[in-house]
This record gives sequence, structure tokens and C-alpha cells, in this order.
Amino acid sequence: MTERFSCTACCSADKPLEKFISNLSMETSFHRVESQEVKCEFGLEGVCCRLCANGPCRITPDSPLGVCGANADVMVTRNFLRAVSAGSGCYIHIVENTVRNLKNTALAKGTLKGLNALERLCNVFDISGGDVYEKAANVADAVLADLYKPDFEKMELTKKLAYEPRLKRWEELGILPGGAKSEVFSGTVKSSTNLNSDPVDMLLHCLRLGISTGLYGLLLTNLLNDIMLGEPEIRIAPVGLRVIDPDYINIMITGHQHSMIATLQDRLADDDVIQKAKAVGAKGFKLVGCTCVGQDLQLRGAHYTNVFDGHGGNNFTSEIILATGAIDAVLTDFNCTLPGIEPICDNLKIKQICIDSISKKANAELVDFSFDARTATTECILDEVVVAYTARRDNVPLNLLPDHGNDTTLTGISEVSLKAFLGDTWQPLIELIAGGQIKGLAAVVGCSNLTGGGHDVLTVEMTKELIARDILVLSAGCSSGGLENCGLMSPEAAELAGPKLKAICQQLGIPPVLNFGPCLAIGRLEMVATEIAAALGVDLPQLPLVLSAPQWLEEQALADGAFGLALGLPLHLGVPPFVTGSPIAVQVLCEDMKSLTGGHVLINGDATESAVLLEDIILQKREALGLA
Amino acid sequence: MRRIIIDADKCKACKNCSVACMRAHAPEGVTFSLSDPQFESRNTILQDGEKQYKPLFCRHCAKPSCANACVSGALAKDPNTGHVLYNPDICAKCFMCVMNCPFGVLKPDRLTNTYVVKCDFCAADGSEPNCVANCPSKAIYVKEVE
Repeated sequence: MTERFSCTACCSADKPLEKFISNLSMETSFHRVESQEVKCEFGLEGVCCRLCANGPCRITPDSPLGVCGANADVMVTRNFLRAVSAGSGCYIHIVENTVRNLKNTALAKGTLKGLNALERLCNVFDISGGDVYEKAANVADAVLADLYKPDFEKMELTKKLAYEPRLKRWEELGILPGGAKSEVFSGTVKSSTNLNSDPVDMLLHCLRLGISTGLYGLLLTNLLNDIMLGEPEIRIAPVGLRVIDPDYINIMITGHQHSMIATLQDRLADDDVIQKAKAVGAKGFKLVGCTCVGQDLQLRGAHYTNVFDGHGGNNFTSEIILATGAIDAVLTDFNCTLPGIEPICDNLKIKQICIDSISKKANAELVDFSFDARTATTECILDEVVVAYTARRDNVPLNLLPDHGNDTTLTGISEVSLKAFLGDTWQPLIELIAGGQIKGLAAVVGCSNLTGGGHDVLTVEMTKELIARDILVLSAGCSSGGLENCGLMSPEAAELAGPKLKAICQQLGIPPVLNFGPCLAIGRLEMVATEIAAALGVDLPQLPLVLSAPQWLEEQALADGAFGLALGLPLHLGVPPFVTGSPIAVQVLCEDMKSLTGGHVLINGDATESAVLLEDIILQKREALGLA
Repeated sequence: MRRIIIDADKCKACKNCSVACMRAHAPEGVTFSLSDPQFESRNTILQDGEKQYKPLFCRHCAKPSCANACVSGALAKDPNTGHVLYNPDICAKCFMCVMNCPFGVLKPDRLTNTYVVKCDFCAADGSEPNCVANCPSKAIYVKEVE
């Protein structure tokens, strides 16, 4: 382990976690923030181009054009489109694997735990079949056919998934996406050297990628997973580092592809596997949730309480969970798997296993997932983990934090379970909003980053400000990991809400911040918003609903953001997405978008100011709807 | 006398100045690497509480606190150029210069702690300092001063 690391660790909204990190004897992302604090402004503003050998070219008053003649607008929008394409590619990879797993499960007549979800999708897609397996295979085929279309052929299911007024607007704007994979391809080609130089065309392409990402990568991934793994059920669950039980062989999971660990998850509950653990002195196996796949497990946790103890934390908590010494293996199916976990794993003899070559870590063993070989590879993984456990447990000191987090987080919330909770209708929620007891809805989503005041700081502080203003917060993504570990998703957090929201929360026994789980569940939030809008007979931009990714981190978040803009929502970000060097990009994203889709971007890094801005938007939308 | 003048408002913190300095003072025969700690920059860029960039460069002060504090004579002001130059061969490694630099720009070398990392104005190159030559935003420039 490196001996040189900063003593000044980045702060966190999670104070017990922050204290734990400051006492760690190993380096984490929190310790590297200080040495990376001074950022290059050319990069920050997006006006550094290295697309050709004449570069890197940078825009200054004395050099307003790159060698090729590209101005700041071209550089920024090209860079931005590249980022959104890559982010979309990540989500499309996820849905592609997910739908292939559904197809294979259906063909093998494997377990389908969410038949209601299947029925729902069959209705939406107008698909039938002789039995559930045939239906599931037909659903999978329809999705696959769309994903693989060329970019000049529009995807067919878009029209069935999209809200009618949105679809109409998207058609008018000419941004209905072709095949989702092809759109990523086109975005990459379009933004290559000396090709597209039309900033507006490139920004419109971002919207197209936003639609394919949102409806397929996000929305459908949730529902396809629900079919295989079971639908979310509302329950109270523990979160934080307390979920780690050192008496078990612990496997920390990182990624976004829940269906790829389905076999392992089921196997861990089998008697012969538990005996395998007992033979080496452990009580059994446990999965410790981390990043979004951990949120996915937590969301569907009611279906396997015996092998999943709870969600440990979000992306930047992963290094900390490992530093406890009680994790024996990391199983990675995708991002967000920080390179920073590698030296910690080496130091603490933690076995690293990747099951998707896309996210291969340097020191990890690649056990590439294949549906046909899933039984054999699962046994192989189990054996490797047992070997790691036996080799390390007596030689690695434990550094646990058993009081961290809480046992009272409300989870299992989905567009279906929440509606069921309200009596199978959105009417109670609509009436609360109409009556002003709930001023509006704020979807606080996305990642966590270590800027914006520190880990989860802006997310948590802004959320507190929003609920204090009687705005109900819905969360999906690593933002959820921070909010739940800080207690805002526990019913007791009602105390922090404004008087009206507090009264409702206490009456219903719910927290003022509702946890929809992984970033993929931004797709679930879209379904909630759409169903409410449909019940009111309005379009999405008219709803008293705002979207915020206060601590967005990565390219995937930019693709999510493009979806939010395509939906016509106000999108708040804590830090700008490397576009401020382009007057055109700023004008289109922050102003002109209002007349295109109805959405717009607003940037503010201050918790109170951001909450005030979002509240103002909600009040304006209420007024426009004729609500007091 | 020529000095490096800093226009902090123009600094973009691209760190080209630091990389240019590291290259200009690279030990002979060693392949340049941005991650090798033996390559050290004599300048740095900090941020103040308002997130404004603060480029730090040796000022070659008129009344150099570093040279005044130097007990061995390793640091001395060149009467012709006005540059404060450092001779590591006679340095006593007391680092009083580091303690006394009012800008906090002097530092002991990272790997051995046996000499001072000090700007020499790239005098050996005979032209303008490499940091200045590589600044894309003209936040640093050379000016003739009295």
C-alpha cells in the first residue's frame, strides 16, 4: 500500500463514515481529492480538443479557433455528444444483457419470479403467447429487435412506451431514436474528427440518445429484471456498514446487471452451499450491497432476505466497505467499480472477480458470464470465494463500523408498489399535491461525487431543504445510497420535513424521501410521473415536478440527464457538464430547450439556493395548473 | 532585470507551466514521466477560498528572504541579472530558505530531502523561462523591471 497519502480526507454528509475514513490507514478516493483539487479550466469548460494530431487545441482570447477551425461551440458540443454516447452505450449494454438473460431464461423454462411484470409488458407491447415462457421470449425478442435496428429505422416499442404528448413532441422535433446501439454508434461517429460541426444538431442527437437510454436502458431494464428476479415489495431494511456480518463469508457486489448474479444469489441459499461455508468456519454466505446493483438487490430484497443483509453504500463507499476487512470477495458485473478498490483488495487479500469482460479490473479474475455455463461458473465463483475466505480471515484485521447506517430504511418502492400502497390509484397523491399538502415532487437522482462540498453533501443538504419546503423527494441512483445512510429514507426523517409533509409522512409511516433504488430506476420515476400526468390529462413539463442530479459523476448520468431534458423536465446539476465554454451550448441547454422539449438545465452548487430555485419552478408550475 | 510577472486572473490551471518546468529540469538520461517523483516543478498553482487560481512562482525578490536566511551562501542574488540562484554543492540543507520564503514557493526535494527545488529562470537556456513559453493563456510573462 502506498505510504504517501493525504491526511486531509474529503468530507462526507455521512459524518460517522467521514470519521471512519479519516482514521483509515489506507488511501481511498477521499484522500486523493486534495491532490487533484486544482482543475484545468480548459477541461472544466469543455474547450480542450484532442481529436486530432494537431491538438490538444484550447480556446483562449488569442486563439479562438482550433487549428482545424473548430470554435468553442464545436469543441464543447462534440465533447458533450461523445460523453452522452458513451453513457448511453453503458445503459444499452446493460439492457442488452438483461434482455438476453430473459430470453435464455424463457427458453430454458427457468424461474420467472415477476409474472405481473411480464403481464404488464405484454399488455403494453400487445404481445401474447401460449404460456409465460413463450410470452417472455416474445417480449425479449421485441426488445432485442429494436436494440439492433440500424439508426435509420425507428425503434418500434418507443411508441408503446412513451407518453403520448411526449411522443408527439419528439416526432415534431425529429428526435425519435433509431436502433439504440446504432444511435450510440452514430453519436460516436458524428463527434469524430472533422465531421459534424453543427452544435445544435449534436445537442439534438443527445436528446435522441436520451430517449433510447431512458426508455430502453433505464425503464425496460427495471421491468425485464422484475420479470426474472421478482417485483419490489415495500419493506423496512438495514443500510450502511452495519449490514456487514463478519461471521459470514461476504461477497460485495458492484455493478448494474442484477440478472447476471441471479444464479449465484439463488445458490447461496441452498443447503449444500451453506454447508460449504460451515466447513470452513463461517455461518454461510452473504451478499453485501454496494453501488446500483446493491440498490437493485435491496429493492427486490423481499425475495431473498436469507442471503442479502442490506445495502452498504454508494459508489464512493465501496473502498470503505472493503477497508473493513470483512469482505472476502468483490463480484463485479459493471460500473461503478473504482480502480481505487484494487490496491485495497491486494492489501487485504480480497478476491476480485469480474463476470463481464466490459468491466474487467486489472487484478481480477475474469469469469465471463454465459447463460449456458451459469451453473458451472457459479460453482467456480463459490469455490474461489471459499479459498479466499480461508486464506485471509485469520490474517486480516477487522475494522468494522457496526453502528453505521440504520435499520429503518424504507425500500422496495416502485411505480407498482407505491401505487398499491396508495390503494392502487395515484388519486391520494394527486389530491395531496392539488391541496398543497405536498407542494410538488423532486426527483433527486444520479451519482455521488466528491465535489460539491464533498461526498453526498449537496445531495443530502439540498434534499433536507426540499423536504423542509413540503416537497416530496423521490430518489434513484447512488444519491439513494447517501440519502439512506444519512437517515433521510427512514420514517423518523419526517421530523425534518415541513409541517404539511411531516403530517402526511407521520400519518402514513413513510419517510419524506422515497427510495426507488438504482439509477436504472430513474425509468421507474418516469413511469410514476407519466401515470400522474395521464391521470391529470397534462403533459410532463406541466407537472409540479423537478429533476435534479446534484452530484452527477459520470457519462451515464449525462445520458440520464438527456432523458430528463427530452421529457421536458427542469434539470438541476450541482456542477456544469463541461459545456460552459460554449455560448451556444449554454443557450440551448439552459434557455432554448424550454421551447424545444419544455425542459432546461439549471446549475447551482449551493444547497439552499438550489432548493429555492427548484421550489420557485414548482410554484410556477402549480400556478399554471391553477393550483393555489 | 527580467522577472516573471503573474496575471492570476488569466490562469486556467492547465498546469502546462508545471509540466514545462519538470521537463526543463529533468535529470539527464532519465525518461520523462509525469508520475515519476524525481521530476519536480519549481512552480505550482493553488486555489484560494474563493476558488480563484493562485499561480506560485519564485519572485526572485529584490530583498530575497531566502538568500538572507541562507547560512552557507548557497542562495545568492546575481548582481547582473537580479536572479536568486542556488548552488546545491555548498547547501547545508538547513532549509531556512524554505522557512523564510514569504510565498511558500521553495521546498526540499521530494525524494531525498537533501536540496532545495528552486527556480533558476531557465538561465541555462538563454531565452525566456520554459513555464512562460508554455503558458497558453499568457497568465505569466517576462517583463524588464528596475
